[in-house]
Amino acid sequence: MHLLAQDLVNGILAGGILAVVALGFSLVWGIMNIINLAHGAFIMLGAYITYELFTVVHIDPFASLPISFGLMFGLGYLIQRYLINWVARAPILTTFLLTFGLSLLVVNIALIIWTSDARGVTTWYSGANFTVGTVTVPWAKLFTLIAALAITGVMQLWLVRSKTGRAIRATAMDVGAAQLSGVRVAHIFAIVFGLGAGLAGVAGTLISLSYALNPSMGDPFLIKAFVVCVLGGLGSVQGALIGGLAYGIIEAFATQLDLTIGTQHISGSGLQDAIALVVLLIVLMVRPRGIMGRATA
Amino acid sequence: MTVAATAAALRRAGLGGITGSPLAFVVVLVAMALLLAVPFAHNGYLNNVFRNILMYAAMAYGWNLIGGYTGYVSFGNVTFFGIGAYSAALLSAHGIDNLAADVVVGALASAAFAVVIGIPVLRLKGHYFGIATLGIGLAVSDIVANLDALGGTSGLAVHQVDDAHFSVYYYAMWLVALGAILGTYLIARSKLGYAFVAIRENEDAAAVLGIWATRYKVTAWAIGAMMAGAAGAIFAPANGFIDPSITFATDANVFPIAMTILGGIGTVAGPFIGAVILAGANELLQRYFVKAHTLFFGAMIVVIVLVLPRGLVWLFGLRGGLRTWAKSLTAFKA
Repeated sequence: MHLLAQDLVNGILAGGILAVVALGFSLVWGIMNIINLAHGAFIMLGAYITYELFTVVHIDPFASLPISFGLMFGLGYLIQRYLINWVARAPILTTFLLTFGLSLLVVNIALIIWTSDARGVTTWYSGANFTVGTVTVPWAKLFTLIAALAITGVMQLWLVRSKTGRAIRATAMDVGAAQLSGVRVAHIFAIVFGLGAGLAGVAGTLISLSYALNPSMGDPFLIKAFVVCVLGGLGSVQGALIGGLAYGIIEAFATQLDLTIGTQHISGSGLQDAIALVVLLIVLMVRPRGIMGRATA
Repeated sequence: MTVAATAAALRRAGLGGITGSPLAFVVVLVAMALLLAVPFAHNGYLNNVFRNILMYAAMAYGWNLIGGYTGYVSFGNVTFFGIGAYSAALLSAHGIDNLAADVVVGALASAAFAVVIGIPVLRLKGHYFGIATLGIGLAVSDIVANLDALGGTSGLAVHQVDDAHFSVYYYAMWLVALGAILGTYLIARSKLGYAFVAIRENEDAAAVLGIWATRYKVTAWAIGAMMAGAAGAIFAPANGFIDPSITFATDANVFPIAMTILGGIGTVAGPFIGAVILAGANELLQRYFVKAHTLFFGAMIVVIVLVLPRGLVWLFGLRGGLRTWAKSLTAFKA
């Protein structure tokens, strides 16, 4: 029983990070119809920004959140405005290929700068944890979860309440109508892509607290972002949060699974991704537009 | 005859339409004929390079049928390649070392898997289909890595012919690629091809016209699966060893998609042209820029997409020069 509780807590803690990982990806996909394959590379850049700030200037990772958001937002804005916008109205696969190329480019530049050595961000609270009953909770992961919840909350409020947020939602509904109403679509798209990159940077900062850093660290998170945002529903902030938590919990429980079929022994830890993906397929069969998704005409 | 006149003559002969530029198709056939000569160089390295190009071409054609013609973008076609490769490895483990048997079993096993998975999954539309196929690909790879019967993560050795007859793998791959090219051409010119395109353009309208969408979608996926499965079935003995990280590699998943888009999606010539350019460039870059080859590879893709967003085949039909080219760019004005 105590294992069950521990798994649940681990799942929720991991799910918070996954929610932030998927949030930017989901916004870019849902609003601009761009599958950003460079999202994993952006996460990696965010983690390295935090690493450099921590080791060189001794800024705490949580304090570096706004810096990595700002830097990555700027990078994302420029990439959308001056690269992707060239083919903005091309079919989705064109931008898919473009961001694939960008991802290769960014990861390999990172390889030249930082080499493939694994690095880590070790703060004074890195190893610290507390126990509630039989459940152990690492402080760093708890802070991460709180930060993740705060970020998703702020994003949701901003999208609903602010003028820019309204322009973004209008553009997502109908580009032509938004243009007629005076929305500068190229600028809005650049902001959305910047937001996606900024949120990836933030996710990278949070990830650097619990995972080792190397230039290809973003790849597994890219795939998880895919799954989480579909699980929750594309382009929706709440969807990313619920999808992230659901994925984290499923994955944590899958680790505990042990199967014996005949003489064949299968341990859950090797299959956790497979199990999570099977769950995804079942969700898609039952709710083809994700848990939070709404049917369209 | 000038190039333009040749193109016009080909079009009068009934070539073109949804097969894409007829001139490009002829270029592909000529290139394929030239590729027959590669083993005469007696150079093992060259054999490998060009066999890889043909392998990627076959996989790209497999993806083009579902992703290009039918408009259902699959991120899991590498699964079929893997199933083909593992079928060949299992046959070899049971003492059957016959390339023809490998290809037939690999292609049929892949097609069977495509049908079984396709019937539920092809009901999903757009992005959701893409994610489901991505999930299937990763799940199958994970499951294979955990099955001792298939060698787990340490993989399986596959029996090879002796060096003197090694070019048999090259010619087998050539035949599979040729089959994929001609198969795509014939499908694109048949009722089947028009049904695929009708589904891509508007599935509801196609249904109104009496096209049973699910059946055609599953057919497109299964035929594409056969192309990838056959390529995998030859890859396994040619490579001599397979494991999940080779047969379900991300590269093997993304490359065929990238090649098809780069060459020209939904055309008969596109996947081949894309495969030659991407696989060829990758090989050259790896040779001359040991450290930074992936960086240049990425930069090359970015530049080509920005300059030719509709794929290289589009160049064959280009008239009006720069002005038409500028129209192909679709930027939003600030």
